Parts: sequence; C-alpha cells; structure tokens
Amino acid sequence: MYDLIVVGGGHAGVEAAHIASQFSNLKIAIITMPNVGLASAPCNPSIGGVGKGQVVRELDALGGLTGKLADLSGIQFRTLNESKGYAVQSTRIQIDKVLYSENAENIISKISNIDVIKEKIEAISGIDGNFLISSKSSTWNTKKVVFTVGTFLGGKMHTGSNTTVGGRDGCESSSSLADFFKNINTVSARFKTGTPARIDKKTIDYKVMEEQPSDSSVETFHVLHGTMDRFVEQKSCYLTYTNSETMKIIRDNKEKSPMFNGQIQGVGARYCPSIEDKAYRYPDKDVHHIFIEPESHNLNTMYPSGISTSLPEDVQLQMLKTVSGLEEIDILQPGYAVEYDVIDTTQLTKCLELKTMPGIYFAGQVNGTSGYEEAAGQGYIAGVNAALALLNKSPLILSRKNSYIGVMIEDLVSNVRDEPYRLFTARSENRLYIREDNSIQRMWSYRTKLGLDKEIDKYENDFILMFDIYSALLKEVYVHPTDNFLTIHNLKVPRRTSIADILKMANINPIDVLKKYFIYSGINADKRLIRTIAISNKYEGYIAKSDEHNKKINKLDGIKVNVEKLLSSENISFECKQRIERIKPETFGQLKLIEGIRPATLAAVAGDNY
Amino acid sequence: MNIYDSRDTIIACSTGLTSNTAIGILRISGSNFLEDLFKIVDLDLTKLKKRYAHFCRIVYDGILYDEVVLTYFKGPHSYNGEDIIEIAVHGNQINIDRIINLICNVCNFRKANPGEFTQRALKNKKLNFAQVEGLDLLLNANSIFSLEQGFSLLSGSLKKDFQALYDLYIKHRSTLEMGFDFLDDIGEEQFNALFKTSLSELDNHIRKLYKRCLNMSGSLIQPDIALFGKPNAGKSSLFNLLVGDDRAIVSEVAGTTRDFLSEKIKINGQVFNIFDTAGLRTTSDSIEKMGINKAIEKIEFSFFKILLVDCNLIGVDEFDQKHLNNIDLVIFSHFDKGKESKSFYIDSFNFLFKSMDSNSILNNEITGPIEPKSTGPIEPKNTGPIEPKSTGPIEPKNTGPIEPKSAGPIEPKSAGPIEPREISYIFADLLSNSNDLDVILKGLVFNKFNKFLDFDPILIERHKDNINKIYLSFLQYQSCASKVEDMAIISSELNIVGHCISELIGIVSPDDVLNNLFSNFCIGK
Repeated sequence: MYDLIVVGGGHAGVEAAHIASQFSNLKIAIITMPNVGLASAPCNPSIGGVGKGQVVRELDALGGLTGKLADLSGIQFRTLNESKGYAVQSTRIQIDKVLYSENAENIISKISNIDVIKEKIEAISGIDGNFLISSKSSTWNTKKVVFTVGTFLGGKMHTGSNTTVGGRDGCESSSSLADFFKNINTVSARFKTGTPARIDKKTIDYKVMEEQPSDSSVETFHVLHGTMDRFVEQKSCYLTYTNSETMKIIRDNKEKSPMFNGQIQGVGARYCPSIEDKAYRYPDKDVHHIFIEPESHNLNTMYPSGISTSLPEDVQLQMLKTVSGLEEIDILQPGYAVEYDVIDTTQLTKCLELKTMPGIYFAGQVNGTSGYEEAAGQGYIAGVNAALALLNKSPLILSRKNSYIGVMIEDLVSNVRDEPYRLFTARSENRLYIREDNSIQRMWSYRTKLGLDKEIDKYENDFILMFDIYSALLKEVYVHPTDNFLTIHNLKVPRRTSIADILKMANINPIDVLKKYFIYSGINADKRLIRTIAISNKYEGYIAKSDEHNKKINKLDGIKVNVEKLLSSENISFECKQRIERIKPETFGQLKLIEGIRPATLAAVAGDNY
Repeated sequence: MNIYDSRDTIIACSTGLTSNTAIGILRISGSNFLEDLFKIVDLDLTKLKKRYAHFCRIVYDGILYDEVVLTYFKGPHSYNGEDIIEIAVHGNQINIDRIINLICNVCNFRKANPGEFTQRALKNKKLNFAQVEGLDLLLNANSIFSLEQGFSLLSGSLKKDFQALYDLYIKHRSTLEMGFDFLDDIGEEQFNALFKTSLSELDNHIRKLYKRCLNMSGSLIQPDIALFGKPNAGKSSLFNLLVGDDRAIVSEVAGTTRDFLSEKIKINGQVFNIFDTAGLRTTSDSIEKMGINKAIEKIEFSFFKILLVDCNLIGVDEFDQKHLNNIDLVIFSHFDKGKESKSFYIDSFNFLFKSMDSNSILNNEITGPIEPKSTGPIEPKNTGPIEPKSTGPIEPKNTGPIEPKSAGPIEPKSAGPIEPREISYIFADLLSNSNDLDVILKGLVFNKFNKFLDFDPILIERHKDNINKIYLSFLQYQSCASKVEDMAIISSELNIVGHCISELIGIVSPDDVLNNLFSNFCIGK
C-alpha cells in the first residue's frame, strides 16, 4: 500500500512526488508512461520567463525541485524585462532538455521513499484512503492519488492532414478521463497547443542572425547554489525574423492548416499563437520574431521559438527556408498541434483536490494550464496537500496577495477556462510586491509551517533574520552630506539622510549603492540578501500607496452577490450571464475574477442596480 | 451617510414648504401602515382601492382637520417600491404643518429626511444611481438645458461617455501589460506604437471630459451675474434696471448696499441670479466690512462679472487684482457727468490693468444691441481654470531606462500672459440710455451662456469631482512615466487612474458614492 501515487512523471508529477517524499514516513510512487524520461520538455527548452521566473523562485523557497534542475542543466541565462523595473524582471534559463530529464531521474531515484513505475495505467477505483490503480499487468493500492497526466487525456496530434492518437510525439495517449472516473466534468471545449518543427542545428547559418549569449550576471534559481554558478557549458540563442515571403506561404496554404480548415476543434491560447494564427489574424504584419534556441548538447536539434505550426511538413519546410539564416535547413521533426481534454477546475478545492472525490488531486496541464512552471507549481500544491492530509495536518494554501502560485490556484478554482491558462504578471493585483528578489520573504512562513528541518530551512531562517536586522539598521543609520561614504561615491544629499532614504533616490542603482555601503561599513552580506533589502526598501512607499488604493476595492470584494438576481437582470449582457451562470460567484470579488465580465456589469452590481 | 431606519413609515410634504398654494400633497411611504393612518381618516379601510382618488376627511378626537383627496399606490408598483399614500390637502403651510404633526403623533410615523423617499426607491431598485442623479438635476432645473441633461441621465446616455473612458483606459492598460508579458511576441517597435496611440486616445478623452467640467464657477444650473465696483458706481441702479423693479435702495450715499441683494431674471428661458453687491472699499464700519467680504466671495464664484466704474473716479482707489482678472464686462457709468474723452478713460483703465500685471485689456466697445454670438463672448479658457498645456503623450523608452528629461511632466501653465484677454466695455449714462443697456447686457450674458453649452458641460457635482480626480491622477501618471525608470511603478500609478475611473462609473464602493449623493442633495421629497 502506497500513501500516495502520482500518475504522470512530468513537471507537475515530479514536484508532487518530491515534496511529499520530504515527509519521510510517507511511501510514494510515480507511475508514468514507458519510454519517457521524468520532467521532460516536449515543447520550448526553457524554464522561467515573465511571471514564471517568480513561480520557480517561489517553488524553490518552498523546497521545490524545478529551480535546482534548471540551474543544473542551464545553458543560457537571461533576465527578461531588465530595463522595466525589478517587479517585472524575470529570470529565464534555457535548459539542456536531455540533461534536465536525466537530473530529474537522478535526484528522484536517490530518494528512498519514491518508487518510479513506468507503465500505462488503465483504471482507478476505490475511495479516499484506499484507491486501486491498475495497468494491464499489475495493480497498486494507495491512500491518495495526484493526477498529472498533461496532454494525454484523449490526446490527438495533427500535422497537416495526418492525425495520430497521442499526447506528444512518440507516445501513445491515455484513455479519456471518463474511462478513469465517472461523474467528473471535462471542459466542453477541448484545448489545443502546438510546437514548432525542430531544425538540424548543423544546417543553420548563425552568422546572419543576432546572437544572444548567456548573461553571466544572472543569478541562479536555487538558493543553495552559488549566485553565479554555471554547471554546464553555456550556449547562445539566435534571433531572426519572418518576412513577407514566409507569411505569404502560410497564407496561401490556409486550407491545409488543421486549425483553420476545421480539422482541429480545440481552443488555443490567444497569447501563445501559432504562426498560422499570426499570419491570418494580422494580415498586415509580416515580421515576427523567431528565437533559435539550443535544445541540448547531445541533440542535433534547434528549437525555433515563435512559430509553432500544424501545417503539412512540406509547407513547414518551404516556409522556414524563406527565413534569413534558415535557407539551407533540414527539418528533423515537424511541428504539430495537439488537442486534449482538460477538466473543469472549478470542481477543485484550493488544495487542488476534487470536491466530489476526496483523496484525488489534479495538477498541471490537465487543469488547462500551459507551461512547465505552472504545472510544477500546481504539482507542489497537490503533492504537499496530499501529504499534509495523510499526516492530519492543516492544508497549505497560498494567498494570491503574496504569490503567483496563489494567484494561479485561485484563478483556476474560481473560473472555468475557455483557453489554456498561462501566468503573467498582469494577473496579480500585487505586482510590486510579488517579485523574484523577495521570494524567500514571501514563502518563508509557508515553508516553516511544514516543519521540515532541512538545509534550505536553515538558510532561509538566517536570511529572514538578517533581512530584518539590516532593514531596520538602514533606517536608523544617518549620514551627513559631507560623509566620506557619500563623497567617495559621488552621492549628493541636501541634508542628514538615512541610508534607507538614500537607496530610494531616483537615478541610482540601489543594489550597487547598498553593496558599496556594506563594503564601506565592513559588513559581509549575502548577495541575494543585499538585492532583496535594496529592492524591498525601494518599493516600500509605492506598495503602501498602491495598498491604500486597493483597500476600497478589496472592501467591495467581500460583498455577497445574488446570482439569481444577476441572471434575471436587464442590465447585464447575455454573454456575461452565461459566464455567471456557469461559475455561480458568491462574492463581488469572485465575480470580478470571471473572465470576460464587462465593467458595465461590475458597475451595475457594485451600484446594486441590477 | 445618515442611515435612517428603513422600516419606519415616513411622511413629508411633496409640494414644498415655502409658500401657500391651493393644494399641498403629503406623501406617506412604508409598509403595513394603513391601519394606523386610518385612525384619522373617515374612510372605510376595506373600501380603499389602488390608484383611485378617494374624497374623505381627516378627523381626530372630534376635530375636523381638512377635507382631502387620498390616493393609494400599493408597492411594489409605486414610485419607490413601498406602499405609498398621497393625500392632497389644502395648501396652506399652517394647515400642512398641523396635519403632518397630527399624523406623526397619532400614527407614529416619522417626518422624512431630505431625499429619503428616493433613497428607498434606489434601495428597492426602482431607480438606479444615474437616474437618481438625473432626477436631482431635473427637480432643481432652472432651464430647459438642465431639464434635458436631467432626462438624459435618467435615460443613461451620459454614462456611455464614461463607459468609453473606461474602455480606453483598459486598452491603454493592456498595452502596458503587453509590454511586460509579451514583449518577445510583439517586439519593441509595435509596443511603442500601440502605447503611443492608446495613451493619446486616453489623454484626449480625459481632456475632453475635463473640459466639460470646467464650468468656471459653481455650476450652470443656476448661473450668477454679479455687479460689482466701488461704492456709488451705480450698481444698484443697474440692478434695478435689469430686474425691472426698484428692488435695491438707491441713494447718493456711498455704501448704501450693505448685504448683497439677489433676484432671478429670465433671459431667453434661462434663469439667472443677479446679485447687487456691496461697494468695494476700505472701511472701518464692521457691518459694511462683512458685506464687502460676502460680496468678494460672491463675485469670485459668479458666472458673469460686471464691473462698474464711475468715470470720475478711475484709478483713485485700489482694486484687488483677482477681481479684475476674470471680469466679463466693464461699464463706465456716469459718462454724462464725465469730463474727459472715452479714450482717456480707456487708457487710464488699461494702465491700471498693466500696473497690476494683468494681461487683460479693454477692447471692443459695445454701443448697440448685439446679435446673438456675434461679438464673440469671452472664451471659457480665459475665464475658467487655466488648462494645462499638454506636451503630448509621453513615450516611454523601452530600450533603456527612461531619461528624466524626455518630455517633462505636464504641469498646468500658470497665468502667464500669452495673449491679452480682451474685455468688452460700455459707456453708459444709467438714466438716459437704459432700454438699450438692458438689451445689450442680457444679450452679452446669454451669449456667454450659450458658448458654455456648446461644451456640453457636465453638471453633476459627483461627476465633476471624479473627473477632476481622474484628470489629476492622469497628470501624475504622465509625470511619473517621464521621471521614473521603473515601468512596474509606472503601471502602479496607472492603476490609480483606473481606480478613479472605476469610481466615476460606479464600480467602486457604492456606500461612498451614495454617501456623497445624499449628503449633497436634497432629492425628490
């Protein structure tokens, strides 16, 4: 009898099993498809990105695995939005995807209370505390189940008019969800995602493209790694563009695109468009970015980011060859689109547990999200809560006020999705606070509650302690305009000023100045700590101001709404009513979160005139 | 807001309490109050029919109070959704008071607070918020114009402009967000273009709305005309001339008018309040001083300001610059008794302006009746708050930190004299050319009023307050965008603009909005 079986060994599954295994009394198994490595990356070979980098750091501070794996297999490091301000800056690491999966296998295999079973499962039965999971040849008993089956539920792949059953290239699909469970709702529309062709790296002319080398100043994700550590040889990415010829080929072949000739019914994300989407929706725009990204030292392929497609292979080749630098390429693996079933996440609790079938948790792409980081974040939440439930401890629920994971979970459980869900910074109302640099601050109290006394806990406890001491100190220490420290660094202040206020001045880099001040004062502080203190200090006032303005709105959020009355109101549009009927919001706050609700509706409800 | 107990049965006179009329209508609103009421009505309760007029008598303790007509509106099909009884009584104020007191004492009803009937209508969803605002305007309308805006609010058309503002805000905001989260997909160039257009669209809309709120003084609902000048300049004579009555006491003794007098006059259907103010002078008389202070305040907030100057006393005494800056018209009075030529008076007056660093200049003498709008009434931009000069939308640089110097923050331009502000003037002998003067003045006032209406002004105070807030927060946003490098902070500033807009269209806290509404207005008795 296992305590927990995780079905699926992707990014969600690995995080779920890993965090649960930290509670050493629990016995865990991962059951995953044969022929696929753990935590594999079937789409873009990178971890992090805008909003997602924050999630990886949150996970890392919570004791998750993703950040560590990304560091260990990182071949190109970048900070996105570097010029736009600390709150929206995010780290992105291109990974060697082969290495990434190997590292995951390695780490998991060394954990004594996790078994990895590579079989395709056929059925699940039983109730909370005693489920029976069976494959063709074996059966296993378990108390809890975390379901992380990605795109495999009813998966169907398309390249031109060729369709294959399966969740990804080279794998068969799982059965449909209904085969596993009865009484569970899938979202009526199927979702669709896609991936571009993989190009033979030897056939690309890199000289005509813009090179983007790895940035050696970018900090690693994992807090126990050295901030500038690199574990493998670094590689560059390259930037090239589509042109009018490329787009003409795509437009001329519209009827061959499964997405536009009716062959694919699934809904793709508006914010992750295929190149066909871009071609047909923006007929005036011919120049689109293509990032050429290395997939692995051990693979011959390059990943051309930005041009996912399901056109027939010959059209893909023809179109790619028009692009500067790609004139002579060979395609090693054509791009394809995949359609799959997703579940209705409003059936889940904030622990991602099915309300109707306690003991069963859902995480990852099966919940309608896109992205490895989103999947990993959910995997952690499902895994840790399954473990806490087994140990009779209170659940771990992250607030949307202090984490992107919290934002994502609340969005998922309060909304039926009609397109794949991806995190971005705009989804948070608290963006100035939910940053990469203060992830330990934000996650520490959650992590502490788990009561796991690991190496990372010691690091974080010290970090928090020193943060508090230094932050207080900086407010107390004043320097005179003629102080040596200021003159050395050519800083001018009109009067006696605290270091904290100096760090807030415009046109200075607070991190640099604080670093210099610590050196000047003979204080030896951790690099991450300096960064966190400087940025937190800088944002303090802005966060307070924004909180002040949010208060009014928040006050309103708790007000109860009457769904019956909303539905019979003449002041609310038909579309809005449809959404309201589906979600049945209880409060104004939940109503606000429903996608596609018009401001007029909100105004009517807030004004109580509906 | 005073939260009154909404379970009380309330009573008030709906037809006003200030003058005697043939009929006064008492309105009673609540639920389950009929039995109580019928203690004082000699009508059989069982015979009461909905929406029928019943003739009956109010009798209590053997005393006949009045013969009345009683109508019953059963909720929810009534004005405010509650049960309502309307009693038409004889409209003598003493009678009305006596009956209301009787009913309050015997039936244990409570006198309604101002606006309470309508408040209940709002609560019972009989009216929405915008409709209440429209109703307020309608009930207090002094002109066809405010009547119309009242109706347009009742029907909700002004809201569309506000809705458009919200949509433009959302559009701009999404562009900014796109710059954070999807820059790789759209590229810098397209982002910059989108940011620029969406910002300028928002900028335009906000400025347009802001302009419509610049009704210079209080409001156009009840525009004031102020007559002012030094003592004995002839203000009271002019006042009497315009009012058409010997309302103001006229005498040779300077300082005769201590307090200001006001009368309503109608010009082409629009009602104006005309004020005769105390003569402005330094005085030791404390009562006169009070009168002068009041006059100054009145002048400041008036719609049309007429300065009267005695030809023989120009430049003798000091004027306060702030009064002179915004005047609409100068009348040189007692010209018949003057000893100098017109140009002498004009020059000396202009000299006065100049010595006070005012950019005003006398130009355009008016000698006869004017065609509507022909003489070009004074531009609102000169009389209202001075509009900040926009240096155009600020375009953030995305490739690097934003340079502080790029398109500086937009600051309201202070009254720097760019073009002289031309003021019309009239030479008058108040006794001999009085008929013409009356027509000329009314023409000038009405032309200016019309000019304002062209701006489609927004009259509701709450809207004006909110639009002002939006405007200021938007300026702050633009200024922040030009000074701060951090786009996350900039977007946080934009959020604040969004909150202000939400407040305007009513997404934000209904409590606050209602508070404001009911504390400022006395709505539908």
